[in-house]
Amino acid sequence: MVNTNKIILRSVLIISYLVIISILIFLISSLFSYFNTGADRSSMLHTEVKKIDQYTPKISWKDDGNEGRYMDPQTLSSIENDYLDAWYVKHIANKTNLKNGIDDFYTKSARKNLFNFIEHNKEENIAIESTTLAHNPDILFFSEDGQLLVLEDKNVIEYKKFIKDNAFVIETTETSDYKGLFLLEDGFWRIRHLVKERTSEFDKTTLPSLLGSSNIKGINYYPQATPWDMFGENFDLTIIEKDFEIIMKAGLNTIRIFVPYKDFGKAKVKEPKLNKLKQVLDAAEKSNLKVVVTLFDFYGDYDVLDWTLNHRHAEIIVSKFKDHKAILAWDVKNEPNLDFESRGKELVISWLEHLIILIKSIDKNHAVTIGWSNIKSAEILKDNLDFVSFHYYEDVHEFEEKYEFLKKLIPNKPIVLGEFGVSSYSGAWKPFGNSEKIQAGYYKEMQKILTKKNLSFMSWTLYDFDTIPKEVVGVLPWRVNPQKEFGFINSKGVKKPAFEYISK
Amino acid sequence: MNIKNNFFFLIYLLAMHSMNAQNALALLTQEKQFVAGSTILLEFKTRNARKYQLYCTNSYGSTLLNSEINKDTLVFKIPKYISDKTGVVGWKIVGLKESISGKFKIVPKAKPVLLESYIGPPSIEAGGTDFTMLVVIPTDDFDNPLKQYTKVGIKHQFMTSEKETNIFTNNLIAYQTIFSPLKSGRMILSAESLGLNSKEYDVNIMPAIGTNFDIFSKRNHAYADGNQITTFTTSIIKDKNNNIVSDGTFVTFFITNKKGNILKTSGTTINGIANAKMIHPDHQENWRIKAYIAGISESNPLEISYTKVIETFDVHFSDTNRVLKVGPLKSFMNQRIPDGLRVTLSIYKEGAFVNNIFKTTNDGFVTFDLDPNIYENGNYNLEVTAAGITQTFKTKKLW
Repeated sequence: MVNTNKIILRSVLIISYLVIISILIFLISSLFSYFNTGADRSSMLHTEVKKIDQYTPKISWKDDGNEGRYMDPQTLSSIENDYLDAWYVKHIANKTNLKNGIDDFYTKSARKNLFNFIEHNKEENIAIESTTLAHNPDILFFSEDGQLLVLEDKNVIEYKKFIKDNAFVIETTETSDYKGLFLLEDGFWRIRHLVKERTSEFDKTTLPSLLGSSNIKGINYYPQATPWDMFGENFDLTIIEKDFEIIMKAGLNTIRIFVPYKDFGKAKVKEPKLNKLKQVLDAAEKSNLKVVVTLFDFYGDYDVLDWTLNHRHAEIIVSKFKDHKAILAWDVKNEPNLDFESRGKELVISWLEHLIILIKSIDKNHAVTIGWSNIKSAEILKDNLDFVSFHYYEDVHEFEEKYEFLKKLIPNKPIVLGEFGVSSYSGAWKPFGNSEKIQAGYYKEMQKILTKKNLSFMSWTLYDFDTIPKEVVGVLPWRVNPQKEFGFINSKGVKKPAFEYISK
Repeated sequence: MNIKNNFFFLIYLLAMHSMNAQNALALLTQEKQFVAGSTILLEFKTRNARKYQLYCTNSYGSTLLNSEINKDTLVFKIPKYISDKTGVVGWKIVGLKESISGKFKIVPKAKPVLLESYIGPPSIEAGGTDFTMLVVIPTDDFDNPLKQYTKVGIKHQFMTSEKETNIFTNNLIAYQTIFSPLKSGRMILSAESLGLNSKEYDVNIMPAIGTNFDIFSKRNHAYADGNQITTFTTSIIKDKNNNIVSDGTFVTFFITNKKGNILKTSGTTINGIANAKMIHPDHQENWRIKAYIAGISESNPLEISYTKVIETFDVHFSDTNRVLKVGPLKSFMNQRIPDGLRVTLSIYKEGAFVNNIFKTTNDGFVTFDLDPNIYENGNYNLEVTAAGITQTFKTKKLW
């Protein structure tokens, strides 16, 4: 008995000793590692370049030599940097009526001229949201000591929107020619003199492009497993190819896909994302499907100072795929009219207008549209677009009448029903909701009208989804749950009754 | 019927016209060009007393202006900070269905009040290939560059010559490249435009790179005493146009001795002459010297020789042969050689090298002490070398 107690006592002692020692070792070692981790010592030198793209107007240098000293590429790039920064600080000053940064890019006597405007605008409570969309600079003269230069910038496209006492007043887009004299001071190329030599209203006319098909039978497409995240981590081409096969066999000829702005890398579009998009387009081509590419998905800023970034984004994507055989049309943005209230109607429309001009300047062959969320908005910018597309989620019985009305407003442009559909959801969050049968009935009815009116359409959507990102309809369950069941095929891959009416 | 129709049409036309007229403003200001600093009023004929805003933009910025009504004219006064600056001013009346817009031009004043001048590089090389550039920006009292093709006179003086050339502004500036003269010195420049003169600017004309030169040596005597110093000098180094090279031009002297080893010494020029020094060798030597301005020019070769000062010396052994007293070492007049002559003792045991001991003379003597803890008793061969002379002592017994 005593012996056993002794053994127990001993083992308890040994174990507690081990525990205490291991705790001590753990504490000391974590203390040690605490003092040995942290910032990399090289970070003390601040060698990293912290630069983000804030302002990227289209800049095309005229490379025709100059008087004076030879202009080397490195100097030219620093001139470009400082010149664009000079514009950028001016835009900021226009917007905020503050003088920050102007000292760096305008010499002492030149900055006075800017300050005069700032003071007047501040006094009058005027704010100008401005940006420039294109620059065509040309070095005319570079002094022998490399300290002074004269630069001409022709056809600068300037957009300005005036707000006085918090109310919109006027917006203008102008093209102007400038001549500037720059001095190298403190390592900055500063503007010493600036003279506007010519100015005129920006010509907004664009050439029309024909919509490549007059008989679009299409569908809005997301893979079942990755809705609203088609080009993400779980991108799987084999699934997409199989889906395209299903769509093709169902008698459809077109799909509408979405390019998320941020996911694609904003102004610096990521090459891997472009590759994925290319694979999708190639797969569509293989399945004889045409594609309507909707740009700027999940984008809602529209800020005037963001425009140049948006333009570079669109430019990269459109110029890369403008000759792709699968492309049918570019949809500038999905349902931008939903942002009218929060961002201002004028702002959103100007944003769209300039993007249409940009896209059409790059791709002269493909039609451009905007996916308006309702029939009421469909006539906005109708003259700028090659075809009008709108979405319809309202009462099926009113559709024909409303469409007729729209057709009368827009007699000479093709009209496409870009999205329509109904959820088959009925459940706890919507007890008197629809059923798969009602959904099938809806499509039957719609197809009848579409055939009668010979109206091109793209329905919403191929699959039921298991999850809906909160950016789409928010987090409220009575909104999210119906959104999950708009598909022709349920999440288990079984065709719903509506599938019969997918294309006819 | 027809007449009645026509009549209604006429009334309709009249009504439309008066409605348009009510809405529209008619621009009264006809000038399209103003001189900077003048008062600019944009006047419109108006029928109602409604006030308008004017969007206005110039070279530097944009703003909105408020109107004033003076009887039946609507007046916008263009503020001074816009009317003072040259360039195109665009305007547009805000809030009209049919927009009324226009533009006018502000041109600089005819006469400059300032000649903003920049010159660079500030120093250039003589010889007519290098050049500097004078940029002149004549500006009016509102800091506007003057109009295209404004005449600017550039004057420059160098030694006895004074020149004046005329140039014209283009792209806001006028510029002139000025090539260097053949001579080095200082060039003085100034500019003039429409009676206004700039201040004085100067440019240093630096000599060009040196051409080949001669070198000389100077020494107290020709003895290889390891003590005196030989000074090497160059001739006056000049560029191809006979300008003395810039002070501080670096000249390196390379000395090759009898064995082919190279010694190096250097100096910088003052008034075209560089000096460099080297201590005499301590044994008979022949030196071959050549100087270079690295990558630019070189000198003629120079040969000098040094004569032996020591023919022989005594070595005295004492204290069981472990203490060697070398000396007295005597120089060319039998004077004791100055302190610091190097004496080497080489120790060999049974044909194998053991050690070298180096010492320098003091009062003409050197004493070597061979420690019995290091050099065990036995027979050694000892060699004593000084001033290039070696004395050998075979099988010296240390005990």
